[in-house]
Amino acid sequence: MSAAGSDKSYRHIAIRDLDVDALTTLSADMQLSLSTEDMLAIQNQYQQLDREPTDVELEVIAQTWSEHCKHRIFAAKIRHTKDGETEEVDSIFKTYIKAITDQIMLQKPGFVLSCFHDNAGFIKLDDEHAVCLKAETHNHPSAIEPYAGANTGLGGVIRDILGAAKGAKPIASLDVFCFGKPDMPPEQVQGDTIHPLGIMRGVVRGVRDYGNRMGIPTVTGAINFHPAYTYNPLVFCGTAGVIPSKFIDKQVNDGDYIVAVGGRTGRDGLHGATFSSMSLDTDSHEEDVGAVQIGNPIEEKKVNDFILQARDENLIEFVTDCGAGGFSSAAGEMISESGGEIYLENCPLKEPGLVSWEIFLSESQERMVLSVNPRNWERILELADVYETEATRIGTVSDSEVLRVFHNGEKVVELHADFLHVAPRKTFASSHHTRCVPAGEIGDAASVSEDLKKVLADFNISSREPIIREYDHEVQGNTFLKPLAGAGGDCPQDGSVIGIDNTGKFISVGVSLLPQYGELDPYKMGLSSVDECIRQLVVTGADPDQIAILDNFCMGNPDEPAELGGLVETVKGIAAAALGYAAPFVSGKDSFYNYFETDEGPISIPVTILISGMGIVEDRAHITGASLRKGGSRIALIGATKNETGGSAYSLVRGEEGTAVPDLDIEEALALYRKLYEAIKHGWIRSAHDLSEGGLAVALAEFGFPCGAGLEIDLNAVGDLAPQTLLFAESNSRILLEIAPEYSAEVATLFAGLPFAFVGESTDAHQNLIVKYGEDELINEAFSTLKEIWKNGLTPYY
Amino acid sequence: MEKRPHALLLKFAGTNCDEETARALRTVGFETETVPFPLLTQELIDRAELVVLSGGFSYGDYIMAGKLAQLELQRALGTPLKTFHERGGYLIGICNGFQILMRLGILPEGSLIHNTHGRFMCKWAGLDKRAESPCLDLLPDHFELPVAHAEGRFVAPEGKSGQYVSEGLAALTYSEDINGSEEQIAGLQDITGRAFGLMPHPERFLYANHHYDANWDADPEWGWGYYFFKSIFDRIMSGETTAKSCAV
Repeated sequence: MSAAGSDKSYRHIAIRDLDVDALTTLSADMQLSLSTEDMLAIQNQYQQLDREPTDVELEVIAQTWSEHCKHRIFAAKIRHTKDGETEEVDSIFKTYIKAITDQIMLQKPGFVLSCFHDNAGFIKLDDEHAVCLKAETHNHPSAIEPYAGANTGLGGVIRDILGAAKGAKPIASLDVFCFGKPDMPPEQVQGDTIHPLGIMRGVVRGVRDYGNRMGIPTVTGAINFHPAYTYNPLVFCGTAGVIPSKFIDKQVNDGDYIVAVGGRTGRDGLHGATFSSMSLDTDSHEEDVGAVQIGNPIEEKKVNDFILQARDENLIEFVTDCGAGGFSSAAGEMISESGGEIYLENCPLKEPGLVSWEIFLSESQERMVLSVNPRNWERILELADVYETEATRIGTVSDSEVLRVFHNGEKVVELHADFLHVAPRKTFASSHHTRCVPAGEIGDAASVSEDLKKVLADFNISSREPIIREYDHEVQGNTFLKPLAGAGGDCPQDGSVIGIDNTGKFISVGVSLLPQYGELDPYKMGLSSVDECIRQLVVTGADPDQIAILDNFCMGNPDEPAELGGLVETVKGIAAAALGYAAPFVSGKDSFYNYFETDEGPISIPVTILISGMGIVEDRAHITGASLRKGGSRIALIGATKNETGGSAYSLVRGEEGTAVPDLDIEEALALYRKLYEAIKHGWIRSAHDLSEGGLAVALAEFGFPCGAGLEIDLNAVGDLAPQTLLFAESNSRILLEIAPEYSAEVATLFAGLPFAFVGESTDAHQNLIVKYGEDELINEAFSTLKEIWKNGLTPYY
Repeated sequence: MEKRPHALLLKFAGTNCDEETARALRTVGFETETVPFPLLTQELIDRAELVVLSGGFSYGDYIMAGKLAQLELQRALGTPLKTFHERGGYLIGICNGFQILMRLGILPEGSLIHNTHGRFMCKWAGLDKRAESPCLDLLPDHFELPVAHAEGRFVAPEGKSGQYVSEGLAALTYSEDINGSEEQIAGLQDITGRAFGLMPHPERFLYANHHYDANWDADPEWGWGYYFFKSIFDRIMSGETTAKSCAV
């Protein structure tokens, strides 16, 4: 699309007289990823304007309307059929995300301070501070160039925090990955696809090198290994931030300077937004490299320091990041309503010779756009010198409601906000069939000890220590509950707790991702993911009534009704749970087209939902670890254990589907979490560990990994199912408690009327896990043996 | 009110532990000022009693860690820190700051290179105090601090590392070999004791509950890092300018 052969840096493209086929061809030739309906809408617009569009305008429209930027599937009308019953879902986002948050905001006035319209959503920490969290995916780039893809994925979400409100300070990051199996035979990998090991190593190092250099601790995360992610690995990066509440509201003013800050603009990262909105195929590795960029974290660190200083000096009216779509999307966010002019010749370039659309759409990293009152311009330039970054005036805000872009005196874009932001609505069909749950229980009581070892060694359960150690998770000096803690400093925790400067308060950060449930029952995956995330936050000491969550979806082909049906069901699940817990969604993102075209047909990922959350921890005394502290403690289990092994680690290790996927009794769960919070505030709880993948058996083993004390557990106190079900079912809302014996009566009274049972004791007499069922000793293993297995599951591969 | 000693934290592009280091310095009593490198002058340095180079990745550390910071300092101001030190000032370099102090030639000859396992490593390390030092006065013979580095392996010309230990210059060693450092050297002081560099991060163990183990109870309120900064604070307050640099 260069303007070769002419002196002009842009050109007009005749579309008014094209027929439908020619319009479709044009979209494909220009890599616009616009549908025929979109092209017709554009044609109609220009017929009314009585002129032809420029190539720059078409690129701007394509980027603005891309799935990546506009989330048109979440806004679409969907005809959803479940077990023969059909309903019309008028925008998933409005119906199940925004409406839920709106309702919770009415119930909890003053808690959510900003959501959905900014780069990240904020909740109240105290009267003067707010905290935010944002997560993004960077799947397609990470599939093609894992290191650079993940590197810029984290760099991008950090900029979202810097571009949230008038510039929040990034304080912690999370990373969640989905990969193929690390032991997949290399010859089975199709085409030029990178082996899961190569993806994993590149991705981890990409996150490491960006996060560590930025000085933002990477404190929590998850990895799921599943063959379906071989061709479409998923890379979620998230960052939390803090801001003085007075800086939350931002607004551009007529006459403000539009200022570019940070890295220069180059040809790297062209068409990223539209590239992300397509599927991959065997040629992607060659064709699409131009869409992937290289990160420069020090450039971003300088911008970080500059923005926070400029914000504190009240020099910033508005700030946003340059992500997908570059200046086009940043300017769109900033001046789409007010209007304004951009002068492309003022944009600092990495290399000469870029044509207009390249400058305006380039996704070069480490760039932010500010709106600055002219009276502050001198000081902005001084600060740029102090922080060794570059600030350049590239335009002016107006009140014209029109976006005009000039290049060397020629007008290359003139677009009205109304048209730019009203993309034609799409319609889809989706369907879902409820799975028939097999009767009875699965497994075998005789082999539970061996099965526990198999589960602990499983890729999805074993220690992430080799990866966690490569992330600086303690920089900033505020990581009070670390991802690995307990005596020895290497035992798994359920979430991380970060101190917030000048407030005396903390936030807990946790994540949940359970695609193995979604393959069987997407609705329950939705319920379970929200419950697990909230459970993790509560277990670490967060107030269950001060939690906000994010929804990040990934799926394959939305044009396949069965795949989209799974998504609709999942959304319904998370919505029901969020509403039940009054835990608002404050931000979210979705990524579609995660499927891979092969000669034998497409390979799609399972519908995947990441729920990440932040919860307020009021006092340092409330921070609770997930590792056993002493002998002589009473051990209690809260929550009911049911015959729910569907998609469980136990069933997968056995090569079975299992029974029902865990359901959720929200009312009961919330009552349990509130009681637990009370017990924590009283100082009655020595430690608490959430039961998740691997059920009670894995939770007991992990609980004892400090190897300082033994555990003696009586399974009959847990319930009256088969022992293997009691040990490995993954029923939701369950937590193991280590209770100081002098408080055990108080704790039992507190939980009266709820599922609560003393299931055993910790002891100094040995360092074993002993599990009895009646007279039978089903498990008697040294914690050191179990820990060794768990610790080394991933080591040979990373 | 009594005048508090003045600490200057020097911040390069990519320095990223300055805020928590400033927090630690203020907590023990220093009046603390963070100065971005382009604003640095000899006058600013000379106003301070203590200059601290904190952790991070100065200029990215894409070539030898700390090298560009050293070159930038020399280009802009010649030998400001050496001059400051020779006039009796105290210097601390933590992690990347240690790497920079090594490159500046203020500490005994040696280098910090890639860990033997070739990886960045974020964990806690046991440490042994091997000599008296103004930074270690209040610390016990054995204690723990967090480490986080990829280039923390101390190497020196043949035979020197052993000499540093016996002469009391290698005041801090790791209790086990975590990165391949010769003699397990974790921290080094110069002959005056007024310049100290270490790879571990004392600012990350300011409070007792920074410790990974909830049962840690060696101190009800403060972590060992607090006592690191408090040691130097007390030393400056007492007006003692020379180190008791004898081997323990």
